[in-house]
Amino acid sequence: MDAWRDFWSVYRQALPVLLVALVGGLFSGLVLERLLGSVERFPGLLVMVPVFLATRGNVYGALGGRVASGLHQGLLEPRFRRDERLVNAVTASLVNGVGISVVIGVITWLALLALGWERAALLELVGIMFVAGVLTSVVMVVGLLAVLFAGFRRGLDPDNLAGPVVTTLGDIFGMVFLLLSVWLVGVLAP
Amino acid sequence: MSDRALGTWDWRRIVGNMFPLLLVLSVLVLWAGITLSGARDLLEEYAILAVMVPTMVGTGGNLGAILSSRLSTRFHLGTISLDPRDPVLLANVSAILALAVSIFAALAVGAYLLGFVVGSDLTLAQLLTVSLVSGMAVALLAVAFAVATTYASYRLGVDPDDTTVPVVTNVVDVLGMVIFVAVAAVVV
Repeated sequence: MDAWRDFWSVYRQALPVLLVALVGGLFSGLVLERLLGSVERFPGLLVMVPVFLATRGNVYGALGGRVASGLHQGLLEPRFRRDERLVNAVTASLVNGVGISVVIGVITWLALLALGWERAALLELVGIMFVAGVLTSVVMVVGLLAVLFAGFRRGLDPDNLAGPVVTTLGDIFGMVFLLLSVWLVGVLAP
Repeated sequence: MSDRALGTWDWRRIVGNMFPLLLVLSVLVLWAGITLSGARDLLEEYAILAVMVPTMVGTGGNLGAILSSRLSTRFHLGTISLDPRDPVLLANVSAILALAVSIFAALAVGAYLLGFVVGSDLTLAQLLTVSLVSGMAVALLAVAFAVATTYASYRLGVDPDDTTVPVVTNVVDVLGMVIFVAVAAVVV
């Protein structure tokens, strides 16, 4: 029966992808658990975590979708070179990714102020987001493009690769660099 | 290459189109952060719950995104209708719910095993209850939300990949966090 076949094809295609995302999610959960120890030093840190992670998905999901379409349409070649379209797409995602990270620091601080909750200095929250945003962006761009290009050359559909790669890399590197950035700002801030 | 030839690949145009949406979504997801921050005592007492947070928050959104992109293709092809008895719609929705059961059960087992590393007193039964109850509630909301918004964007003629998918993902992320914290507080 058609509907039954449809059911199995959705289930079989999506399950491996979701299981990979689950492994990435559990790893980033372990890092989040470590991060709880720093909340004392930077009150409000936890508020930023879901927003920061969601933003990685939004920005690099869009880059992945764009590059996948470009590869399909023959507008992009599957290799790292100074192609004007590729440079523009990457520039946009870096501006979006780092820009929105800084904004997250600001709106988190404002929300904490409005709620009357204990909060770290505005510059500390923004600094943490900026460093984590820059580091994550670089790794996401290089990692995402490398996987999409390699996959495309081997005949895999980049549309199917982009989503899970973004989710998994974003969860893992987003949290690791957030932890690193918290440590760095903790060392540098007086 | 001139700016005109770059068209939709011009970085200023991409940023101009996308940044306002990113801003709105960030304000929305801030609610999830505030919920997480409010649950800090619970997370410090039961560290294993913190380990579950990223997956709890991400999976509902992923399921909603998969359903949205499948439905939008089929609305355009005219091979599906919103009739609840439509067999293709039912097959897609059942597949999403079956995926949810599988992933949230696997999350509980994974968290239980990691519990030996981080030190956790919660039983597998407790973790399964938290994960499946909150996970299935989120999955049902993700399905309802994905069907409604995908149909709306199809009727309004908006490209679902650019708007519906990020909106569904982020709204369901927030609901996932709120429901997870509420269920966890009751069960443990």
